[in-house]
This record gives sequence, C-alpha cells and structure tokens, in this order.
Amino acid sequence: MKKRFIFVCAAALTALSAAALAHGGATGIVKERMDAMSAMGAAVKSISMMITGTTPYDAQIVKSGATVIQSHAGGALTGLFPKGSQQMASEARPEIWSDWQDFQTLSLRLETLAQGLKLAADNGPMHGSDSGPAAMMGGSGSQMMGTEGSMMMGDSGMMGEGSGMGSGMGSGMGSGMGSQVMEMNPEQWANMPVDGVFNMLTRTCSACHTRFRLEKK
Amino acid sequence: MTRLFLLLISALITVAGALALAVVLWPLQPPTSTIPPNGDVARGAYLARMAGCIACHTNASAGGAPLAGGLALQTDFGTFYSANLTTDGEFGIGNWTVEQFAAAVRAGISPGGTPYYPAFPYPFYAKFSDQDIADLWAAFRTVPPVSLPSRQPDLSFPYNFRPGLKLWRGLFLDSKPFEINADKSASWNRGKFIVTGPGHCGACHTPRNLAGARQVALRFHGAEGLPGGGRSPSITSARLNKAGWTMESLKYALKTGILPDGDTFGGTMGEVVRDGLSFVSDEDLTAIAAYLLDKEQ
Repeated sequence: MKKRFIFVCAAALTALSAAALAHGGATGIVKERMDAMSAMGAAVKSISMMITGTTPYDAQIVKSGATVIQSHAGGALTGLFPKGSQQMASEARPEIWSDWQDFQTLSLRLETLAQGLKLAADNGPMHGSDSGPAAMMGGSGSQMMGTEGSMMMGDSGMMGEGSGMGSGMGSGMGSGMGSQVMEMNPEQWANMPVDGVFNMLTRTCSACHTRFRLEKK
Repeated sequence: MTRLFLLLISALITVAGALALAVVLWPLQPPTSTIPPNGDVARGAYLARMAGCIACHTNASAGGAPLAGGLALQTDFGTFYSANLTTDGEFGIGNWTVEQFAAAVRAGISPGGTPYYPAFPYPFYAKFSDQDIADLWAAFRTVPPVSLPSRQPDLSFPYNFRPGLKLWRGLFLDSKPFEINADKSASWNRGKFIVTGPGHCGACHTPRNLAGARQVALRFHGAEGLPGGGRSPSITSARLNKAGWTMESLKYALKTGILPDGDTFGGTMGEVVRDGLSFVSDEDLTAIAAYLLDKEQ
C-alpha cells in the first residue's frame, strides 16, 4: 500500500515537472526574463491603450508604467543574459552574446527612454495615433532623399529614430545611430509629446526583438 | 556492354548540354509598355518606401549610402546582395530608360535581357500601374549617384545557373496586372493593391515550394525558413478575425509595431514597420486592414 502511494506520488511529480517543462521549460533565469518581459509588456499595453484613445489619458499610469520599464531595462535586462546561458532553451538568439555591445546599447537606450517617458508624461499626447513618420511625410519635399532631411526636424517628436538620422534606412540598427541616440539624455525627452517618446521606446523593443529574439509563433 | 554504357552516357550528356544551351539561348521578351512621360516624385518616393526598395537596397548597418545596395539576404538557395539603384551611370541605373526600368521592376528582366532572381520581388511589383512606374522612376532619378559595383549572389549549383530562371519563370511566374474587385469598396481594393503589390506581404507570409515559388493554395498561411531563419504567422482574414484583430488594433500594430498584448513585433516584421509601414498614410493603413480582415470600410 505504502509502496503504491510512493509510486503514485512519483508519477504525479513526474507529470507535474513534465507540464512545467512543456510550458516553455522556463525555470530560473529564463523564467526571470519572461517575467520581466511580461511586466514591460503589460506597461506598454496600458500606455498604448491611452495613446490610441481606448482608455482616457492618465499621466500617473504613464509614470508608473515607465518606472516598471525602467526597472527592467539597462543593466537589469542585460544582467538576465549572463555568458553561458545561451545553452538554455529559450527564445534568446545567440547573437545576444556575439553582438553583446549592440544588445547593451539597445538595453541602455530603453532605460533612457523610460526615464524620458516619465518626464514627458505630463505633456500628454500630441495628436493621438497620428504622430510618427507618416505624419511628417506631408511636407517631405520633392526629392526621395528630401524625406530624410525633413525627418531630422522631428516636428512630431520622432527625431533620432528610425530613418531620421540617415543610418536607419535599411535593416539592422546601425551602431552609429545607437550612439547618436545615446547622446540624448532623459531631460531632452522631457519637452516632447508623450506619444513621440513612447513611439521611440516601443521601437527600441521591436529593434531588440528583431535582432535578438527567435520567432516561434 | 561497356560500349553501350558509354554511348548512353554520351547521349545523356549531349541531351543535357543541348537543353542547357536551349535555355541559355531562349530569349526573354519583356512586355512593351508606354510609360507616361511625367512622374510625381513625392508619390514615387512614397511607393518606393512602401515597396521596401529603400529598406532592401540600403546597407544601413554598414553605413551604406541610400539605395546603393549591398545588403545581404540569406536564403536556402544562397546569399543575395541588393543592387545599386542610384543614378550612377556605371554601377547604378543612371543610364537606363524608363522602359528598361519598367521591364526590370514589373517583369524581372534586366536591360541586357537576363532574368533577375525572384529574391527581388518583381512578381508583386507587376501590380504597379504605368503611372506608378512613372512616379517611381521620377523619384529614383533624384537619388545621388554612388560609384559602387553591385555584388553577384553566392549561390550553389544549380541555382547559380541564371538562365535556369527562364524555366522557373515558365513554371511559376504570375505577372498579371492588378485587378479591381468591383464588388468591394475603393478602400478594400486599395488595400488589395498594397498587400498583393508593393507591400509584397506574401513574400514572407505565403509558404514557398522547393523551387522557392509561392504556393498559391496556401496564400497567407504563414511560412518557415524565411531569409535569416525566421518564421511568419498566418495572416488569412479567417485567422486574423478569429484571433480577435480589429481594424483599430491591426492599424495600430502595423504603424507602431505594438501588439494588443503589449508585445512588439520581432523578426523581420519589426524592420517592415520601421522602414515601411510607419511611413504609410492613415488612409492606406485603413485600406490594408480592410483588405486583410476582409471588412468593408
């Protein structure tokens, strides 16, 4: 009887750990990464709902969301990817470790932008979802490269991002562009509309996912 | 016995050689087209951005000049490098005529009459109208020349046998011009044009067969083994609607890269948003969403 009980317990334990493994096999540091990403995702979701007008704008929610992102960015983010952890089953691409400098640049940029987002929260959004590069295309001049020039003026707060700085036209994050962005400090974001800063922040997320995350969907 | 074997082998070699020669000599005739003389530069630049010309033909991470080419595209067939599309007379397209440009973009045939590899998504660009081509040409004429030779692809046999593309074209190429669906709204049709034409969504979201041709029956069903090793999700209207996408959430995701759950696009879709979709007008984003979700606007 007792033997049988032990057997049942062992079987149940095996089933449980199998289930845990099936759930992405996330334990230890990989689980910590997923939790950090989920926390940032939840913050992005609540802020984007306000930017799109789905929920009313509340600067306080932006500030708390930005604080969450800031706490998981920079060194806190890169610290979750120690050397040697590439052997673990996860969505992390090996490029994280081979292009560590770029990964670190993006992570620090996320931290800076989260600080800036906090400072810009009281500015409110500019014109809802209609900011961004396309809004600037209107007066983009008559030359194909003229669009690049006008982007630099950043009239809706996209300066420094994407195509604006000339190095972002193709794929990949030019390291030059990264350093240009890094030259800006959080105080410089403080005068920008909140949706402009938020846009740049989420593009940093996307740029990092593009280079360093395996797509399993 | 040995003699018969040798005879058979030499016969086979002769036949294969004759076939290869026939393929090499088989002329490619680009369709003749009359392109309007005047193009709108701003509209052409907008289309070039939307079509990914600028994204793929600029080696930005290596500090390359706009549209000077050299960006590598790693595929199952080998590595392709985008060509120099600046107005440089020697290495770019500075000495081309608009008719040659039209044949290259819509039919995938070079001014010298050789076929382009479909890594250049010209089967999609076949949907460009004569006016679109005129506008694109006007925009490309404004690009400063860069004296940089285009790099030939690094492909393995048999893919490095460029005349073989003529067979590929005969088997798989569909270069029908854009067709309006009269039962649908203007916005839906604009979306159809963008998605099946310049946007070339199917290049990644439709699975390909062993010869690298898109499988029509599995249109937009998502694909694996994309350039660089990624995979793409299904974007059929049934799938998107079932997953809860709305006009608003899809437009916002395409413009910003932010998904309804707070995640952001990764893979090459992040680049598609950054280099293309974030520049697309609100009206066109509405059209794309209306077509993809098959909703009337």
